[in-house]
Amino acid sequence: MTRALRAMPTLFRVATAQLSAYRAEVLIWILTATMPLVMMALWDAVADGGPVGGLGQGDLARYFTVTLVARQLMSAWLSWELNPLIRTGGLSAHLLRPMSPFWYWLVQHVSHVPLRAVVLVPLIAALIAWRPEMGLTLDPARTSVFVLSCALGFLLNFVAHIFFGALAFWTGQSQGLFMGWFGLWSLFGGYLIPARLMPPWMAALNDALPFRAMLSIPVEIGASLMAPEAWLGALASQVAWLVAFAGIAAWTWRRGLRRYEAFGA
Amino acid sequence: MIAVKDLRKTYRVPQRDPGLVGALRSIWRREHKEIRAVEGVTFEIAAGERVGFLGPNGAGKTTTLKMLAGLLRPTSGEVSVNGFEPQRREAAFLEQITLVMGQKQQLLWDLPPRDTFALNRALYQIPDAQFRETLGELTTMLSLGELVDRPTRNLSLGERMKCELAAALLHRPKVLFLDEPTIGLDVVMQLQVRHFIAQWNERFGSTVLLTSHYMDDVQALCPRVIVIAAGALRFDGRLTDLVAQVKPRRRVVVRPPAGFTAAFPPPFALEGEAWVADVAPTDVGAAVQQGFAHCPGMDLRVEEPPLEQVFADFFVQHRTP
Repeated sequence: MTRALRAMPTLFRVATAQLSAYRAEVLIWILTATMPLVMMALWDAVADGGPVGGLGQGDLARYFTVTLVARQLMSAWLSWELNPLIRTGGLSAHLLRPMSPFWYWLVQHVSHVPLRAVVLVPLIAALIAWRPEMGLTLDPARTSVFVLSCALGFLLNFVAHIFFGALAFWTGQSQGLFMGWFGLWSLFGGYLIPARLMPPWMAALNDALPFRAMLSIPVEIGASLMAPEAWLGALASQVAWLVAFAGIAAWTWRRGLRRYEAFGA
Repeated sequence: MIAVKDLRKTYRVPQRDPGLVGALRSIWRREHKEIRAVEGVTFEIAAGERVGFLGPNGAGKTTTLKMLAGLLRPTSGEVSVNGFEPQRREAAFLEQITLVMGQKQQLLWDLPPRDTFALNRALYQIPDAQFRETLGELTTMLSLGELVDRPTRNLSLGERMKCELAAALLHRPKVLFLDEPTIGLDVVMQLQVRHFIAQWNERFGSTVLLTSHYMDDVQALCPRVIVIAAGALRFDGRLTDLVAQVKPRRRVVVRPPAGFTAAFPPPFALEGEAWVADVAPTDVGAAVQQGFAHCPGMDLRVEEPPLEQVFADFFVQHRTP
């Protein structure tokens, strides 16, 4: 841990240099995560005749605007990198270093945030100007809790990627499994449907699943769809899921490493 | 010090019949085969030694190196490197070793090697003064010059390998595992890398375990060789002893001056334009004397068998059915 903290400035500098080498590609990746804008248009049409489940057009515009921001802040893609590293033996170079490679990958993810912010700020400003009725405000307390909740959601997504990436130790490729997970995440996480609009059976099922903690909770906080008295419980549920997933991911990774065959050369 | 005792590694690899039917069948019924890559290898290497680790393709050399470096978990057996159990991959262990693989790289592909060096300085917690000193030495010994500031992807294979070596040695490891470090390099670059490894070993007293298919690497760097074939240890000793064991004879080659047509007496026999005596090392002196007595003005040379031939014969002798 001490080693990782001391190495942080260099890790960030190198990660930023790598990011700049791929800036065009990263920019395109950022722009591909604009599904919330599509959903905003769709739900706007649905709520044209009046509020849906208590949410009017302004509420839905606010919800999907915050979803866009949260999605960008909580993006993780580690399993996509782990798959080829495990399959081709590229992981060896990471394992030979005297520090857990997860620090390196974590910093790589976080280093994308400034570039994402550069893209997001004008986009969000334009959305607010276009749909002033959404009433998106930067209340300091809510914003702070939103950022904290996004950080927890990001870590939860990150460890989920470790888990799915580590499955490649057994299967060789695990992107297919992850895509199945991503489908469930989109459905239950509030990416396509706000949790409040889910039918009762789906909402009940969702309470037992981690997806809300991975996206919907921060969005509900940021979009003022969760009362302040519910924040603590929501954050606690995120922490609980994070601890559980971190345990599962760590166990899977350790077991997987025993099977690692360091192919190539 | 490296100690390996009865080391074994077995891989379980999926197998399927060729063709579409085989591919479809393997979807629901996957068959596996066990490959015994390393079978009961035992050896010890003292601190500061330079040892060649040799064997034909698929002999288990790289698998053994990967187990010594902690990348692979042995199926059974004991491994100790400087008192550490490699498979635990403790930071204190990883700080003491390096593994350079000629066909794998740690350099960051899109950034100049200088960035990888900076990353390694941070990860290995190398003090600034030591980092500058070591990088300076490496830059001189490997003639890195401005290479370190060019993106890795724009470097030639040889230039990249030199930078790989620098990145791998910045933390001054006590044990160097070098897996074909000169593969694909031109002759000049091979010489440079060989010279560098010898210099580094002498300068820092690092233990070197080297695999290579280039016998010149082995001859130049490794007084001792460990040979494995089909996963098992076949020889452990001085290179000269291996040569004496496999190819105990020497060739005395004479080329008579122009116009000299008389046949040389046995043991000489004509091979092209030269007369060659294939004799035991103890009989070399007598053959030389005999040759000079027969033709004083001749050009004479005593040849050891080429190492490539020695190893080829040795591997054939130890080939598994």
